[in-house]
Amino acid sequence: MFEKFRKSKTAKQGLSIIIVGCGKVGATLAEQLCKEGHDIAVVDKNPARVQALTDLYDVMGLVGNGASYNVQIEAGIEKADLIISVTDSDELNLLTCTVAKRVGNCAAIARVRNPDYSEEVSYLQERLELAMIINPEREAANEIARILYLPAALSVNPFARGQAEMVRIKIPEGNVLNGQSLAVLGRNIARDILVCAVERGEKVLIPDGNFELYSGDVVSFIASAKEATEFLEKIGIETGRVSDVLMIGGGKSSYYLAKQLLDVGIGVKIIESRKERCEELSVLLPKAVIINGDGTKEELLKEEGIEETEAFVPLTGIDEENILLTLHAREVSDAKVITKINRITFHNVISHLELGSVVYPKYITAEAIIAYVRALTASLNSNIETLYHIIDHRAEAIEFRVTKESALTGKTLRELSLKENLLIACINRNGLIIIPGGEDCILPGDTVVIVTTHTGFNDIEDILR
Amino acid sequence: MNRAMIVYILGWVLNIEAALMLLPCGVAVIYRETEGFWFLAVIALCALVGMLLVHRKPKSTVFYLKEGCVATALSWIVLSFFGSLPFVLSGEIPSFTDALFETISGFTTTGASILSDVESLSYCMLFWRSFTHWIGGMGVLVFLLAVVPMSGGSHMNLMRAESPGPSVGKLVPKVKHTARLLYYIYIGLTLLEIIFLLAGKMPLFDAVATSFGTAGTGGFGIKNDSFMSYSAYDQWIVTIFMVLFGVNFNAYYFLLYRKWKKAFGMEEVRWYFIIILAAIGIIVYDIYDPSMSFSHNLRDSSFQVASIITTTGFSSVDFNLWPQTSKTVLVLLMFIGACAGSTGGGIKVSRFVVLLKTVGKELNSYLHPKSIRKIKIEGKPVEHEVVRAINVFFITFMIIFAFSVFALSFEGRDLITNFTAVAATINNIGPGLEMVGPTQNFGMFSDFSKFVMMFDMLAGRLELFPLLLLFHPSVWKQLLVKKSTKISAR
Repeated sequence: MFEKFRKSKTAKQGLSIIIVGCGKVGATLAEQLCKEGHDIAVVDKNPARVQALTDLYDVMGLVGNGASYNVQIEAGIEKADLIISVTDSDELNLLTCTVAKRVGNCAAIARVRNPDYSEEVSYLQERLELAMIINPEREAANEIARILYLPAALSVNPFARGQAEMVRIKIPEGNVLNGQSLAVLGRNIARDILVCAVERGEKVLIPDGNFELYSGDVVSFIASAKEATEFLEKIGIETGRVSDVLMIGGGKSSYYLAKQLLDVGIGVKIIESRKERCEELSVLLPKAVIINGDGTKEELLKEEGIEETEAFVPLTGIDEENILLTLHAREVSDAKVITKINRITFHNVISHLELGSVVYPKYITAEAIIAYVRALTASLNSNIETLYHIIDHRAEAIEFRVTKESALTGKTLRELSLKENLLIACINRNGLIIIPGGEDCILPGDTVVIVTTHTGFNDIEDILR
Repeated sequence: MNRAMIVYILGWVLNIEAALMLLPCGVAVIYRETEGFWFLAVIALCALVGMLLVHRKPKSTVFYLKEGCVATALSWIVLSFFGSLPFVLSGEIPSFTDALFETISGFTTTGASILSDVESLSYCMLFWRSFTHWIGGMGVLVFLLAVVPMSGGSHMNLMRAESPGPSVGKLVPKVKHTARLLYYIYIGLTLLEIIFLLAGKMPLFDAVATSFGTAGTGGFGIKNDSFMSYSAYDQWIVTIFMVLFGVNFNAYYFLLYRKWKKAFGMEEVRWYFIIILAAIGIIVYDIYDPSMSFSHNLRDSSFQVASIITTTGFSSVDFNLWPQTSKTVLVLLMFIGACAGSTGGGIKVSRFVVLLKTVGKELNSYLHPKSIRKIKIEGKPVEHEVVRAINVFFITFMIIFAFSVFALSFEGRDLITNFTAVAATINNIGPGLEMVGPTQNFGMFSDFSKFVMMFDMLAGRLELFPLLLLFHPSVWKQLLVKKSTKISAR
């Protein structure tokens, strides 16, 4: 009876996953993965953190050092499918995964975020046979950089390995789009963009052709990078990238962001309060202007040109400071402001503040891992490429790889009966981006992006009714 | 407080009770007893009320410890109320107080009876009486968690409130699977005992009823003389299974998954066996009588010790006639109780282990006032929070105990009767000494005393605090008074 019980459990109930480190990322992961029905064990040295997680979610808690063999055995490493190590220490994460690889036959994901290792990530990943190395600070920097290249957008997410982008914009007052239906938009203004979700007030809508847009709507659309820019220009939105950025806080994300921006010739000014860190940064980033001072002082901000800068990015470790700085910047200047928020509490309050572009590093990391886990779950046809929670987690954009013939392939989209609140947003056929209409069809070998308010899709065939 | 969720859970508890009552119905069919119709009537009532309550799924399933405790306490009260109806309706136990006492005694696995002539009950009633032990042993909410799909992790709070022991953990990551595993072990062991008893030529009905009584560590006998008339083989089998059901179920989990080292390294279980062996040794020596064979002596001692420490409450001999030392040992065993995470009651071996280690630590701090020392169980330090909770539990237990003895004293019975009556109910054992001894019953108490003991039984089974929480004024307020914001929203 027990043998049967054990087997049926793994077959039906998803994966057994061990999460080492119950910090912000660990907690987000536990919550998300638990919702998707996996068996989770969480490990942390701090009993209070473990207790807090086991009280909230249906997970098993263990107190101890996750890198220790005994603790891993107790957490069930021998039968685990995946271990995710997201403690504060990069070295501990790598050790945890290394030990786990030797003890159990499982995939391993480690968080490594120290810039010292950032050049060696792919080497480490290969030699240590890790499934993934995640670096939330770097991912956050990438996302911020993408927005700075297209400051009119609230957010920009890449799809199909960067060949298409999902751009989120707010329709300004008096824009030509006001009152337009999507069918007209497609005919007259931009043929090759696809509006895949619209936020109106509290609601998230997955639109069809008769849907009409109004000022104040927040529109997410998919297009190739070039067409996105053309479209925005057509409807009269500025598309030039920023030329200089003022950053507050000299942490890891600031470093990653500054490095990326300097490489493409955008001017960077960083205000950091710790003298030693300023000196370090000035060595690491010789082209940047490093200011040693308290970035939360109004006078200093004024002196360093908050009123003139084109973009302002508060990246301190304290969310409250970041939010206040953002609100202040919106008062005193016209700069593009991007806010980084680490903790994900008081979500409703934050969304009412109209901060504009907000970046959640913890979500970015958690999503990468969840996409990986979903792919692992459907290990036979592991065809999720990327997964994005868009619009504050109220819809998902999923990129599937179509590997084989199925009920979906070879038919025109008009013939398929799809679930409601679901949209096939784009098809990538050998690098060619197709924004599909009713006459297009899906072929094996394509990569397909769908947008939906459903959750938990694992396979492209899930989109069928 | 999430009242909708509590109501929803109560609804499911009633549905499950209705389903479980089908079994005594079946027994009534087999023995062609008309009393079975009363069960059908109660099933219809339970199912109707239950369906009404689960009809609307609560919007918010958020569930905190207080909701867990309140839901658990209320579930047990509701369960006992409806469980007692067949006895009253059929007229086999005409007084409602008596019927409720009997049912609570059943569900809390106490086994204290108000009946003087058990054998006069119909088979289906006898079966239901024993079956309540089995349901109450592992807990109906644990069962609920195992079968009813509920999302969210906060349901651990239900399990925590219902399962005995100072710290309730999970065996596997999901509450549902943990609950299922516990029930698999429980059912497996029960079946094993039935098979062994059948092998000893015990009639099927007796074997099933006895196994239910043993599994839940309840102790309702189906004979007036409890277990005295059964064969030596049957007595030994029951002794062994009583001891087994008093072991922390985690040990069985470790054995099943071949984690031998962990299973045998459980400190609580070791102490449990040491206490049992020591108690048997003392009693064997104390009741030594040249006219009785050693094996008989050993059997009587073991049976009684196993029955009392696991808080089962079967008896194979009238231990009220034993010498004082033996009786004292038994009364002390009543308080120690079984292991945490078993189906037994009492204060629990693990709590005593921690309490004794605290005493050792205190003594040490007199010798070396500046020394720092952590109490350890199985080599792992025990959190201060746990030690504190155990201390408070012990004190609260003693306060309730003292008040109950005082409340019973108004009836003018001797102290030993009152003392052991409360000890036997709050520790969920069953028989005490003197007027509540193994051959006696609780029928002579007044209704007031019976209600005091019903409270004790529930408090003991739910480990005090879930039940006590019901008496906290702010819980009433949250349960009964609607929030003004909610009204305005409607």
